[in-house]
Amino acid sequence: MKAVGRVLAGLVFRWEAVLVLLIFAAAFWSTTLSDLFLTRANLLDLTTPYIFIGLMALGLTLVVVAGEIDISIASILAVSVVVLGQVFEAGANVWVAAAVGLLVATGLGLVNGLLVGVVGLPSLAVTLGTLAAYRGLAFLINSGEGVASFPVGFTNIGSGYVWGQQVPIALLVFLGAAVALGFLLHATRFGRYLYAIGSNREAARFSGVPVTLVRVAVFGVSGLMAGIAGLVYVGFFGSTRADAADGSLLDVVTAVVLGGVDIFGGAGTILGVVLSVVLVSELRNGMQLDNLGGDTQNIVIGVLLLAAILAGNALRALQTSGLRARIARARHKEVMRPSSRTEGIT
Amino acid sequence: MSAVPPLVELRDVSKSYGGVQAVAEVSFAIDPARVHALVGENGAGKSTLVKILTGVVAPDEGELLLDGQPEHIGDALSARRLGIVAMYQDPTVFEDLSVAENVFAGRHLRGTARTVDWRAMRREAGRILHDLGGDFAPDAPVRGLGVADRQLIEIAKALSTNARLLIMDEPTAALSVQEVENLFATVRRLRERGVAVLFISHRLEEVSAIADVVTVLRDGRHVATRDAAELSHGEMIRLMVGRSLEALFPKEDAEIGDVVFRAEGLTRRGVFSDVSFELRRGEIVGLAGFVGAGRTEVARAIFGIDRLDAGRLTIDGRRFTARSPRSALRRGLAYLPEDRLRQGLIQPMSVERNASMAVLPSLSPAGVLQPWRERRLARRFMEQLRIKATSPAQVVRSLSGGNQQKVVLSKWLATQPKVLLLDEPTHGVDVGTKADVHRTISHLATQGLAILLISSELPEILGMSDRVLVLREGRLVADVPRAEATQERIVEAAAGIARSAA
Amino acid sequence: MNLATTRRISPHALASAAFRLRELGIFLALAIAVLFFSIRADNFMTVGNWQDIANDVALVAVLAVGQTMVVLTRNIDLSVGSIVGLTAYISSDTLAHHHGLPLVATALIAIGIGLGCGIVNGLLVAVGKIPAIIATIATLAIYRGLLFQITGGQNVLAFQLPESFLDLAAKKPLGLPLLAWIALAVALAGAAVLRWASWGRDFYAVGSNPEAARYAGIPVGRRIMTAFAISGALAGLGGFMFAARFASVDAVAGTNLEFDAVTAVVVGGVNVFGGSGTVLGAVLGALLVSTVQDGFTLMKLSEFWKMFFNGTAIVVAVTIDALITHRLQEALRRRRRAEVVAAREGEAPA
Repeated sequence: MKAVGRVLAGLVFRWEAVLVLLIFAAAFWSTTLSDLFLTRANLLDLTTPYIFIGLMALGLTLVVVAGEIDISIASILAVSVVVLGQVFEAGANVWVAAAVGLLVATGLGLVNGLLVGVVGLPSLAVTLGTLAAYRGLAFLINSGEGVASFPVGFTNIGSGYVWGQQVPIALLVFLGAAVALGFLLHATRFGRYLYAIGSNREAARFSGVPVTLVRVAVFGVSGLMAGIAGLVYVGFFGSTRADAADGSLLDVVTAVVLGGVDIFGGAGTILGVVLSVVLVSELRNGMQLDNLGGDTQNIVIGVLLLAAILAGNALRALQTSGLRARIARARHKEVMRPSSRTEGIT
Repeated sequence: MSAVPPLVELRDVSKSYGGVQAVAEVSFAIDPARVHALVGENGAGKSTLVKILTGVVAPDEGELLLDGQPEHIGDALSARRLGIVAMYQDPTVFEDLSVAENVFAGRHLRGTARTVDWRAMRREAGRILHDLGGDFAPDAPVRGLGVADRQLIEIAKALSTNARLLIMDEPTAALSVQEVENLFATVRRLRERGVAVLFISHRLEEVSAIADVVTVLRDGRHVATRDAAELSHGEMIRLMVGRSLEALFPKEDAEIGDVVFRAEGLTRRGVFSDVSFELRRGEIVGLAGFVGAGRTEVARAIFGIDRLDAGRLTIDGRRFTARSPRSALRRGLAYLPEDRLRQGLIQPMSVERNASMAVLPSLSPAGVLQPWRERRLARRFMEQLRIKATSPAQVVRSLSGGNQQKVVLSKWLATQPKVLLLDEPTHGVDVGTKADVHRTISHLATQGLAILLISSELPEILGMSDRVLVLREGRLVADVPRAEATQERIVEAAAGIARSAA
Repeated sequence: MNLATTRRISPHALASAAFRLRELGIFLALAIAVLFFSIRADNFMTVGNWQDIANDVALVAVLAVGQTMVVLTRNIDLSVGSIVGLTAYISSDTLAHHHGLPLVATALIAIGIGLGCGIVNGLLVAVGKIPAIIATIATLAIYRGLLFQITGGQNVLAFQLPESFLDLAAKKPLGLPLLAWIALAVALAGAAVLRWASWGRDFYAVGSNPEAARYAGIPVGRRIMTAFAISGALAGLGGFMFAARFASVDAVAGTNLEFDAVTAVVVGGVNVFGGSGTVLGAVLGALLVSTVQDGFTLMKLSEFWKMFFNGTAIVVAVTIDALITHRLQEALRRRRRAEVVAAREGEAPA
């Protein structure tokens, strides 16, 4: 019986459980704003406009678990989307154009990866630079109006529905990606290496983990996810303009941090991020129902981001003053936190 | 004895970490204007005492008196305010700032309108440094200065904050003869000013040259405090080491086979040079030497963590270049690092995940993890090495030091290495676990592994090794077979004392 | 000849040479840019154009001075663009409704609001222990959102503003625009603080080695807060200058200005790891950034080259700095170690 109690306690105090609670709370709030909220159609469609954000958040999660940061993802999305548009306009098949877009996105991610993993530059400075450079690049490739006439088969990725016009394909894409990346992060060697590097890069290296390779690769994955997010973006918004996803960085970072991913690396789950994407979607949706402007909504999301980190810090402080840590400290000298990212601007 | 109370007095100070007693009932006093040397083998308790004096840790028992008054030193900053400053082998400096700024960091001299008075700082820093024998400009960037210069800066800093006790922890490790001379001159000047210097060194000839008083520690206990003039080197060694070799876990006789590992002419500029030795299957070779002799550095270079400037490595007759730990692993090398917490383990991960880290490719076909295989591996080692954990899923952070060490060992044993480099494998480990580890090491030798055992504990080296290599200042100075190895012999070689002075 | 002295000459010279090289590098880049644009762009080398550049540089330079302080402490402030927008609007709006208000008072209001925003940033980073990048991404959105709330969709239009204010940007004492004079004053003040104020020097220590700084008794948290406060206050001043220059201020004013500031600072040799850098470098960086942008505009290249240039410049500058520091460190360390060993080998055997 005690064991069951302990298991339950373990579950309840997990971050994901808190998120589930918040999701219900937000749902409750939303129903007070509109009767239409609790309809099946609405619930299924809740996250659709934010799927592209969710996809980027999934990619960013892997990067943050490894102890790095990538703030250039929205810009990568823009380049990939613009390239897709240009290739399609030039007469290629839309799927070929999509493939090229994905390739470009992965390539841009790998550039980040090489600068961080091989050259050894701090990921913050690098992705700050590429955030601007890639966004500029997108505009340079095409500064005008985006292509608007994509075949329906393609745009369905972002705006289509299946099963009687109810389940958004975008949602399926997101869930599929979540399963895939969840598998990658939690069930593969690569994922294990990400956690190891994010917790203690030096010890990982000493243990024979191919640190450089993994660090380069994870940025490639992040880039690829930005590319996939781009496909959904085009499908939903129907635009391949260079200002695509401009301003979405806030939501992506919030989704990751709110999902319980430790900003210092080494901890976090895909499930948590999926839940926080749902939560953020609910909040945005609700605020929309409440007639709050987009920029006002940003205030709320910004505050949420700060609150999430403060909560995480507070929890960590509690843990280190907890019993377990006291034992550990009594046994040894200072248990130092390996700092994988306190070099550079944090 | 004068009626003036000593500057610092320790009374029955004890400190333990987990099951390990670092210092026990240590009592002695440090007087002002004296150079007080603290000697003892590695692990005798010197660094713990320094930590207590500088407020980094608090003693479990006993008291600390300053000028006769009991004091509680809460942290390093408080210690500094009380006038106790420590200087370590690697001085902490602000690389990006100038010398003068380093000396006056946080306490800039102010001039007109409370602005920073650069001229005064430059002049003052220059004066202090000149008095200390430094000959570099006060506005030189610290980045370009070497250890000796940085030490001077730290001393200058201490002087300008009116430090009363300056603790120097192995200050001469990286210095040339001339620089040591300069440092001694500086120490004498400090003494003239009334500053007390606690001089920790294993170089006994230096201790004799500079110290007024010598305190010897052994196994965490105070053995003697005598005037330096009365203490010969031989006597010092006897005090440092003089214990009966208690019955260690008897070493299993292993069949020693052919050479499996050969190192020739290993050199890393400024760290070690021309180190050559062989390891045979089934052999346990001890590598002794004082801190700073280069033992860990040699191991790290062999394992591919640091670069070798020259030398050849051969495993099973085939040459290999250690480019990274990963490549070393693949060739059958394994290295158990000295800093188990920071380099050996991934603290937030479980026993099984740590244990499987180095062999993950073989446990995860097609890249997919198979946690049950990791668990099985962990259980196997938990049994074999008697690791006390609630389950393989227990987080490593909450294990005792000894058990943590066993987890690190498991990780490496899982790779089925041919050559095992152990760096202080029982450092900070309780007695019971120590025996376990020794038994394991001995057993591994019988299974054909070649083992290089780096250790600062003489009984361990003597009890476990078939041969003992001694490193001093980056050079191999002795290769002593088991039959001839005694504690005195090793320490003499490590300290560079001629055998004739028995 | 004292062997010890000969050994010591080179390392210093090496290190200081490296840093001087950096500033020289910017000069060189600037010279090349000017040369390039004078050939390829029409009207580049005219007085009028240079006065335009001066006005652009003025704004970026003021922001860059604040950003320098923050980066020196190993942090970053991405919210300055939003603070500029916020304070620009408030300045304009206040003057539009109170024509009689002295301009200096309005400027002080703007600076005050900027200061408040900066203090919030400082609290989040120093007390809340939130990594600066995340904290200022959040406040970037929050401050911008607040601006949107305040404007309620309205702009302040030029005709609503008092003459004295609109004239501000047009004044050119001694041929240099007034705004540039303000920027110059700010730069000099900033440089003075970083050189002559004890707490200003502390920024370098905090960024160079936060642990050692704490041990030296420096109140690290308070210093970080000060750096952010200054960055915010200067962004407030920047907002006032922005409003004076562009008259019509809407809710998207100042967007992406933080990038100009960060680029100027990084290109100007302020190390992203903290601990080194000068206001002079940052101002030169601002000059380079604005000159290149102006040149691009004159060449009729799309403004999007600007973002691309900024981003690439950041990456290139960080790479160069990392390589220089790394090489320098390695070279110095190896030489020093070899010297020690050589001296040891010269000893008589023990």
